[in-house]
Amino acid sequence: MIHSAAGSSPSSAPARGTTRDDGLARALAAIVGERRVLERPGELRAYESDGLPGYQHRPSLAVFPGSREETVAVVKLFAERGVRFVPRGAGTGLSGGALADDVVLLGLHRLRTILSIDAENVRAVVEPGVVNAALSRAAAPYGLYYAPDPSSQTACTIGGNVAENAGGPHCLKYGVTLNHVLAVTALLPSGEIVTLGNAQGETEGYDLLGAFIGSEGCFGIALDVTVRLEPLPQAVHTLLADFSTVHAAAEAVSAIIASGIVPAALELMDAATIQAVEASIYAAGYPTDAAAVLLIELDGAAAGLEEDSARVSRFCTEAGARGVRLATDAAERARLWQGRKKAFGAMGRMAPHLVVQDAVVPRTRLPEILATIERIGRAHGVQVCNVFHAGDGNLHPNMTYDGNDPEESARVHQAMSEIMDACIAAGGTITGEHGIGVDKLPYMDRLFSPETLGAMCALRDVFDPDRRANPGKVVPMHSCREWHGAAATRTRSA
Amino acid sequence: MARRGSDTHAFRVTTAAAPTDALAVAAAIREARASKTALRIVGGRTWLDAGRPVREESTLPLAALRGVTQYEPGDFTLTARAGTSLGEISRIVAREGQWLTLQPHGSLDGTIGATIATASWGPLASAYGTPRDHLLGCEVVTGVGEIVRAGGRVVKNVAGFDLPRLMTGAWGTLGAITEVTLRLRARPEVDRTLAVTLEGLDDRACDDAGRWLRTTPYRPLAAELCSADMSAHIGLERRTLLLVRLGGNEALVRAAERAVAELGTVTIVDGAVWDRLRTAEPSGAAVIRLATLPAALGALFERATRRIAGIGGASHATIARGVVRCIVPAAHTREEIERLRGIMKDLHAPGSRIAERLPDPLWDELPSAVGDRLSRDVRRTFDPDRVLNPGILDNTA
Ligand SMILES: Cc1cc2nc3c(=O)[nH]c(=O)nc-3n(C[C@H](O)[C@H](O)[C@@H](O)COP(=O)(O)OP(=O)(O)OC[C@H]3O[C@@H](n4cnc5c(N)ncnc54)[C@H](O)[C@@H]3O)c2cc1C
Ligand SMILES: Cc1cc2nc3c(=O)[nH]c(=O)nc-3n(C[C@H](O)[C@H](O)[C@H](O)COP(=O)(O)OP(=O)(O)OC[C@H]3O[C@@H](n4cnc5c(N)ncnc54)[C@H](O)[C@@H]3O)c2cc1C
Repeated sequence: MIHSAAGSSPSSAPARGTTRDDGLARALAAIVGERRVLERPGELRAYESDGLPGYQHRPSLAVFPGSREETVAVVKLFAERGVRFVPRGAGTGLSGGALADDVVLLGLHRLRTILSIDAENVRAVVEPGVVNAALSRAAAPYGLYYAPDPSSQTACTIGGNVAENAGGPHCLKYGVTLNHVLAVTALLPSGEIVTLGNAQGETEGYDLLGAFIGSEGCFGIALDVTVRLEPLPQAVHTLLADFSTVHAAAEAVSAIIASGIVPAALELMDAATIQAVEASIYAAGYPTDAAAVLLIELDGAAAGLEEDSARVSRFCTEAGARGVRLATDAAERARLWQGRKKAFGAMGRMAPHLVVQDAVVPRTRLPEILATIERIGRAHGVQVCNVFHAGDGNLHPNMTYDGNDPEESARVHQAMSEIMDACIAAGGTITGEHGIGVDKLPYMDRLFSPETLGAMCALRDVFDPDRRANPGKVVPMHSCREWHGAAATRTRSA
Repeated sequence: MARRGSDTHAFRVTTAAAPTDALAVAAAIREARASKTALRIVGGRTWLDAGRPVREESTLPLAALRGVTQYEPGDFTLTARAGTSLGEISRIVAREGQWLTLQPHGSLDGTIGATIATASWGPLASAYGTPRDHLLGCEVVTGVGEIVRAGGRVVKNVAGFDLPRLMTGAWGTLGAITEVTLRLRARPEVDRTLAVTLEGLDDRACDDAGRWLRTTPYRPLAAELCSADMSAHIGLERRTLLLVRLGGNEALVRAAERAVAELGTVTIVDGAVWDRLRTAEPSGAAVIRLATLPAALGALFERATRRIAGIGGASHATIARGVVRCIVPAAHTREEIERLRGIMKDLHAPGSRIAERLPDPLWDELPSAVGDRLSRDVRRTFDPDRVLNPGILDNTA
């Protein structure tokens, strides 16, 4: 196994910070004020879950610093006392990453200052609690925007986006969070502050910024984030193509991708999703008798866009589309997108619980995997609604169910597990943008060898040798146990 | 620049049999650990004189790990073993109308493993980014001798901590890369290169071009500002020129051409200038990259270009990335090295200064690239006995 450089083994790591630790609450209140430390079960209820249903974990207490200085002081206090903690942004995560199981929850949503927008150099510096859409709104007067656009963008935070390496519909053309972050000031669990990446130039040496992005709160806290902005596109074409089979829609996706045209977004919604959307207040005018629709957006310079858009239409028709509609104005475009972006919400109305799943397959395997998913759903009597980033092969097979019904929950769980296996077998992966959190932990062994998981743990130990930040997430504990650290080799920061 | 291994150091350099799979690489690394033998990882050998001097005692050749192992054109992904040359990959994907948009400076005989390991990039990085933006997954043998397979074959993947990013640009000091999966792209329908003669002073013209690039909807595939000496070297008129590479459908490229014409007098040039630019440096030349904020690039370009012009140096700037690459002819004699030392003092930049190739004595003056606490611990974790390319990122071999 990889030899972890960590000095202490996880079992010897202190695990304090329970509800009974009055001293901690008082010490935290001295930093952030009484009102910003929550201890009572009633107050903590709002923080018992995130966007993933079926899990409820109560934090031992919750603390909400209001400034960078307070955040640093809080984390230093944790370090002194060996307190384990879970960073949390808006709690929209879909893998249970922000759940705190009897450890301290550190809420960062109050750190919501946009520190600077440098239009000349097309970049912005933001605090971690800045809401994704708020940044694009603030950049708009300069003719700029922040490209990664998770469908949760009106709520989720940039800190949470960095932690999950979030994607979104427009990442097909513009790339995911990793491709847009230039630098992060990170607060390590030890209280040490480090700059990762270089906002003004190149970085030499290890890509620690790349390692930090997507580390799901296990490597420390993003205190501020420097992102690259993009010029707003000069022109946008939004198309809706409707199909009488899911297979035909998937074939159209393959044809478009193969042509070399890179749409800004290429999203697929199946019949179950269309019906959920159309029955909700987000009704977008999707044809309710379609087996699938593709929402396709092309953007960029006005010149040449019409030609590309005509070709895309033709690919859809050739694959069997019944019709292709071009949104004629901004209002129609917004309506078509609203249906897509609020699809999860619309599905959520259909049953007490909704699992928004996330997996990826190579793009040529889409038609086949969609058929497999349908078969698995049918076999377990589970309703699957597919709404996903088809251009990237990034599936979201979602299931509505009643989490209070153990039998139904078990069937949903079994179907999920089989879908994950099918995606792995197709050469894909178990998450494209939502992260591992707690939800995907059981699948990690299916995807990675013990050596690879060991290497991941070893990397985490560099950032957080005591394993106090977001404990128990991302890599199964049994993969980490075997390391025996050579304490003598670890250097300590001065 | 004659150096490396046996001539400059008192170690016995042995050459092991070339491993043909990851298991053999792992065995070689484990053996090196056991005998505390420093290994120099070797790919296509085209760029072994880059980076700090390596205290090598034996080599770990990876060129025998050759071949594309998986290529599904419809997925726009390709998996190749580390020793596969960039030229071979280009040829294979070109048949499908695709390309690997890395095209780093250097030779097509360079290997893909080395390109990822050194995070090498070239002019196309303006539009497509660097190796970190292309690498989807990799197989690496760590300095512990373990085979790690991270990432995957799909274009979006957040499963687990990001080991592929960590290995990119680590110069082999965390592991020998044995296989990589990369993202490919479609060749643009039209691919046209323009040389623009900018009006006015170099720094101002550079900043005007930069401002245009940052706001234009046309997103050129590449935009490089070439010093007069560089322009001449790649077969163009001897004057400061902006090379712009446009891609897309005919209507888009034509509109983009009209927009570029606002910057100066435009001539269409043969796309081969890009190959000439990528292989412009004379053998053994010292190469230093300076970087700053994009809007401040003009002044930096002007200052650096002027400083190296007197000794036959040439420069070019990748405007979108705020980087000026300075190429100075090889320094062999003591006098030449001292002169270069003097020049280095002036070649500073607010953002970063990264040397690619330098005469050995000059490396001592540059700070370690991995001197911070996190980097030191990363190294200790993945290569505890410092058997892989020791010294290449820091001088404390
Ligand atoms: C003249 C010239 C100029 C260049 N200029 C630039 C430039 O300006 N910018 C730039 O980014 N790149 C530059 N390159 C680098 C080049 O584009 C790539 O790094 C690559 O093509 C070199 O391939 P190689 O197989 O010959 O590497 P080699 O010369 O064999 O090795 C290069 C380095 O990579 C390490 N290495 C090789 N293979 C592996 C592996 N599989 N795993 C881990 N480590 C490995 C070696 O130890 C060595 O330090 C230049 C190359 C040349 C020849
Ligand atoms: C309706 C809906 C649609 C969605 N659509 C998408 C989509 O299209 N694409 C996509 O990628 N995701 C999507 N998501 C998932 C989710 O919104 C993203 O993962 C988002 O990045 C989470 O941000 P958050 O602020 O809510 O983070 P949280 O849920 O609060 O936390 C997520 C993780 O980040 C860590 N974290 C939070 N802040 C910090 C910080 N400052 N420093 C370090 N770690 C931190 C937490 O510990 C946790 O592990 C969607 C979710 C919903 C509910």
